[in-house]
Amino acid sequence: MAFNQERFNLLLCVDGSDESYRALRYAVRIGKGNDADITLLYVRPIDKSMGGGGLELNLTRENMLEWGIDLPGMEHLERAREQLIETGYMDEEWKSETIHREVIGDPLGDNMVVYTSPSGAQITLKLMVSPSVARGILDECELNPYNITIIAMQEEGESRARGGINWNVTRTVVTEHHGAVLLSRGIEESHGHLICVTADEKSIAAAQKDAVMASRCNCPVHLLSVAELESDIASAELAIKLASNAIEKAGVSIEEAVVAVGDPVTEIIERGKPFSVIVMADSDVKGLRRFFRTSVAYDVLKKAYNSVMIIR
Amino acid sequence: MARFEFHAPRIQLTGRPALRGLAFFLNEKRWFFIAMLVGVIAFLAPTPEGLTREGQIVLTITIVAVMLFITEPVPLPSVALMIIVAQVALLGIDSSIVARSMMSDSVFFILGSLMLAVAIVKQRLDKRIAFLIIKMTGTKTANVSIGIIAVSGLMASVIGEHTVAAMMLPVALTLISLVSKDRKQVRGLAAVLLFSIAYGCSIASIATPSGGARNAIMIGYWREFFFDPFNSETSKFIVTYVKWAIYNYPLFLVQIPFVAFLLLKVFKPEQKNISRAVVRLREQVEEQGPMKARDWVAIFGFFMTLMGWIFFSEGWGLGTIALVGATFFLIVGLVQWSDVNSGVNWGVVLLYAAAISLGVQMKDSQAAEWVALSFLKLLGAVGIEEGVSLWGAVSLLTTLTTNAMSNGAAVAVLGPITLDIANMTGESPLRMGFITTVSSSFAYLTVVGTPAATIVYSSGYLKSSDFLKAGLWMVIISMIVLLLAAALYWPLIGL
Repeated sequence: MAFNQERFNLLLCVDGSDESYRALRYAVRIGKGNDADITLLYVRPIDKSMGGGGLELNLTRENMLEWGIDLPGMEHLERAREQLIETGYMDEEWKSETIHREVIGDPLGDNMVVYTSPSGAQITLKLMVSPSVARGILDECELNPYNITIIAMQEEGESRARGGINWNVTRTVVTEHHGAVLLSRGIEESHGHLICVTADEKSIAAAQKDAVMASRCNCPVHLLSVAELESDIASAELAIKLASNAIEKAGVSIEEAVVAVGDPVTEIIERGKPFSVIVMADSDVKGLRRFFRTSVAYDVLKKAYNSVMIIR
Repeated sequence: MARFEFHAPRIQLTGRPALRGLAFFLNEKRWFFIAMLVGVIAFLAPTPEGLTREGQIVLTITIVAVMLFITEPVPLPSVALMIIVAQVALLGIDSSIVARSMMSDSVFFILGSLMLAVAIVKQRLDKRIAFLIIKMTGTKTANVSIGIIAVSGLMASVIGEHTVAAMMLPVALTLISLVSKDRKQVRGLAAVLLFSIAYGCSIASIATPSGGARNAIMIGYWREFFFDPFNSETSKFIVTYVKWAIYNYPLFLVQIPFVAFLLLKVFKPEQKNISRAVVRLREQVEEQGPMKARDWVAIFGFFMTLMGWIFFSEGWGLGTIALVGATFFLIVGLVQWSDVNSGVNWGVVLLYAAAISLGVQMKDSQAAEWVALSFLKLLGAVGIEEGVSLWGAVSLLTTLTTNAMSNGAAVAVLGPITLDIANMTGESPLRMGFITTVSSSFAYLTVVGTPAATIVYSSGYLKSSDFLKAGLWMVIISMIVLLLAAALYWPLIGL
């Protein structure tokens, strides 16, 4: 399967949780239209043979497959596919192609099925094996530059099953990701995007990028710039002006633009509550800062009550 | 609706990005650097009173190795390699002597039993076993759980628990999926059946010497540290297969009903009767038809190995008999060498060998004696000096250790210490050795505690918190049974 960068490519990480199926509905809204391809990914952590007491766990896996028991994750992907059919996004008529990739360290390797519609839109179900869930997601993003990666974090207590996406996975993916990553938390589809901007060039570019994405699902766009002190208000107003120009230039209209004064993290979280997604731009974090994970975007991601998108 | 299936032309993956930058590397390996830092500090620190310099170095190696065993920032076989290198480089021991200290009958046993495990799993006798269980237990969930515990346990008492778990997991998963495809509906049932396998294996793994590598390791320690061929009184430290089983088999048997009761109470399965699933499973397994000649040969091969362990292990050693069994399966063609080669993780053999070698160094450098003395001082401060309370303390120490690392490595490292404790307190080394080894099977609290736990966890049905939920009760039950046996049963049979 060739990865077509001309199209809008969306990656959704599925782990079988209710949250991931809720995120699927959101992905369908963003991905509607003939120009989008959606990949549903389940990462199966590689079987650690040491834990098997010296017996390679693939022996157990082979035994299970012989009994007709699926690999972990197959049922989740299958359920996601059923939901796509129920929502009318795809149907049984789509052509399918199955692909197996050998992976060093796991004889069962990566497996995927690519469904192609008559108009050329693709849905890929991918069962990937990796040393860890986070590393699998990051590898997939590095090999295929998706326009957006959506990860759905399970609620506390539900996150300890093998292959589940918990805070540790989310944190690693968000810190290491080089594109746009959306952490879906109880995502509602139609409450709009709150795009938080600074006067920084990268922030403006990120705002424009998300506004275009929001327009794909007819989600209203709101702008917010937070001045930490009264003396920073002018800079915040400039950010709003620059972002508005960039977004309108891309043909997207802005519902509302607000300048707030206060602690950026608190302001963004509180003002972001009614929205589907809070959108933040974050510069490439390097060196020790990445190691200690310190930025406004990271704090908002950690503490927000709803979904957060980080764009780099 | 058509299912999607993965059958496909093979595409060679040329490679994935391996290194994600320095920060990612540092983050992933942080425990390695922390362990190294701790090692440097311990190495450079002044030698504590009563400890030799060699002992201090051995303890430093042990601390670093244990930290790496627990946190796993690097592949575990590399820890084994580091132990070997450290003995030569830091202790100045000749490399041939280090190499010799790594090879013993216990290591032969680990080698042989792993090869035997692959050979047995490859025979696909699991459907026959499934048939036996459902024929025996009926359709009530409680009875099926008891059946799985008993059958898993009976098998795990003579062959490695990884073998049993690998064979039993498909049986349990088939039953679960035949009840319902909806994971939420069968959460309780799945937990009961999967833990029946894991705990059945754990409680039985100490029943005979061939139940686990750690048993062979302890038998090796008794022989090495206490047996003197010129002193007939020390012949009691040669523990035969039957003698071990007489002491420990009853511990497994009495725990079976407790385990089933506990699992049903903790996980409360919605389905009290799984008759439909059992009927459908019966249909599946009946498709196998009658036993074939190949099946009988496999059973004969294993039976002869078991007889060898019972009647000849005193002279030949458990390890040699295990190798005989594995060789038999290879010679008659029941398993191919390529299967054995790909089914065994040879790194584990290396890991156990290095851990045993470290255990021997602990004893030789008197580090074990110093740790034992310090531990006793600590216990003395809270009034624990002898008897049941001392046994309980040793059992607790082993339980905590075995939950964090492989039980074989735990016995290899702790064995010399607890045997020295026995020496210092006038306790029987046999009793203390049994307590240490039996307690090493109480790894109920974590996913990585036992091979069987890791295997059932790989099903994706269990959460790591489930292990803690049921495991805490299991630790209490098993510890009570062990202490009762040490106080009341073992004295009756001469200990």
